[in-house]
Amino acid sequence: MENNYQLSRIHNYIHGLMSREEMFQLEREALEDPFLQDAIDGYRLQNGVDARQLSLLQQRLSRRVEETIATRHAQYYTWQRLAIGATAGVIFVTLLALLYFKHFDGKAERTTDVELSEPENSIAIQPLLDGGDATPREGWKALETYLNTHAMMPAQGGVVIIHFAVGQDGLPIHIQAEGKTMQSLVEEVIRLLRSGPKWEGTKGRLKITFPVKEEKTAVQVSSIKPPHCFVIEPK
Amino acid sequence: MNEKELLQHYKTTGDLSALGKLYSPYMSLLYGVCFKYLQDPDRSQDAVMQIFEELITKLRQYEVDNFKSWLHVYSKNYCLMQLRKDKRTSQVDIEDNLFESEQKLNDSSDTKWEEKDFEKLEGCMQTLSPEQEQCVRLFYLEQKCYKDIADFTGYDLNKVKSAIQNGKRNLKICMERKENGK
Repeated sequence: MENNYQLSRIHNYIHGLMSREEMFQLEREALEDPFLQDAIDGYRLQNGVDARQLSLLQQRLSRRVEETIATRHAQYYTWQRLAIGATAGVIFVTLLALLYFKHFDGKAERTTDVELSEPENSIAIQPLLDGGDATPREGWKALETYLNTHAMMPAQGGVVIIHFAVGQDGLPIHIQAEGKTMQSLVEEVIRLLRSGPKWEGTKGRLKITFPVKEEKTAVQVSSIKPPHCFVIEPK
Repeated sequence: MNEKELLQHYKTTGDLSALGKLYSPYMSLLYGVCFKYLQDPDRSQDAVMQIFEELITKLRQYEVDNFKSWLHVYSKNYCLMQLRKDKRTSQVDIEDNLFESEQKLNDSSDTKWEEKDFEKLEGCMQTLSPEQEQCVRLFYLEQKCYKDIADFTGYDLNKVKSAIQNGKRNLKICMERKENGK
């Protein structure tokens, strides 16, 4: 290698192992080649060439080069791993979210069930808006409370759909039931409405649901459970 | 691949092993250069490695024509920067640096010499200082090595070296001035 050749020349030059002609030749080259001149100056300052140092340097260089190539591979694999890891993470989080929502939904179901159970314990009113514009003067809630406190509930419950007009005094008139409903239930609704709160508007249409009275049915089905258990039972 | 191809290959691909092949032949010379300025074996070794690190990015950015002389100038600047960071007074001889900057002039020294050129040269020799003239004559005409010149004249070896370097430079300037004058 040209490099090693130069190096041994520098070595020989500094240690006076060259003939006069060889020294002259190297000096002449160095005059045209400042790189060489600088290197000669440096080695002269160091009092010679240390081959061990230089082979150490060569090792450092090759290690450096290999390192980078290895690092590139390592980085490549790292990125791959990272991608897999990230995907796994996303899937994990998604699963957690799904589980959570499922759990949450289950709770919500139960909550809804409890709320739905209310109409079964008490009378529920559902205004049918296509039937008219009538609203109770004191609000729907007050009407519901009135019905629940004053109704003589039939044992088997039932649903009544009625329509009526609002009289001049605010009380319902011309109350009529739709479809075929138990006569006793219709009569009870008419009684309740006639003596109940006053209305605003001209006419109205309601769906009134009467719950099944369990105290009475419990006589027939002794093994029946309390109402809230009924709700959870279907699970 | 030769040096130019390696350089181009590295510039386009960034393949570090190509840069390693390019750099490795110059390491021993570079170590000498670094030692000249840093004057410490460990620091010089580290500098050689650090210069390599800098080349990794630099050689992809710059178009380098003559790798050898570019590398030399780059490393020298690197070492000088290191010294400046140390806030140590640099022990670089100003003459060496002057010599350095002429490197480019030397490239075009293949012109043919005619009789009148020798006359001019003789005239210019008279303009040199006696030391320079003596050393240049002994070196270029009698082809004596520095050591012989030092023994012969009684000058210090370094004085011989710089007398020849400066004498050569002054001659060149003188010759060019005469060329332009006529």
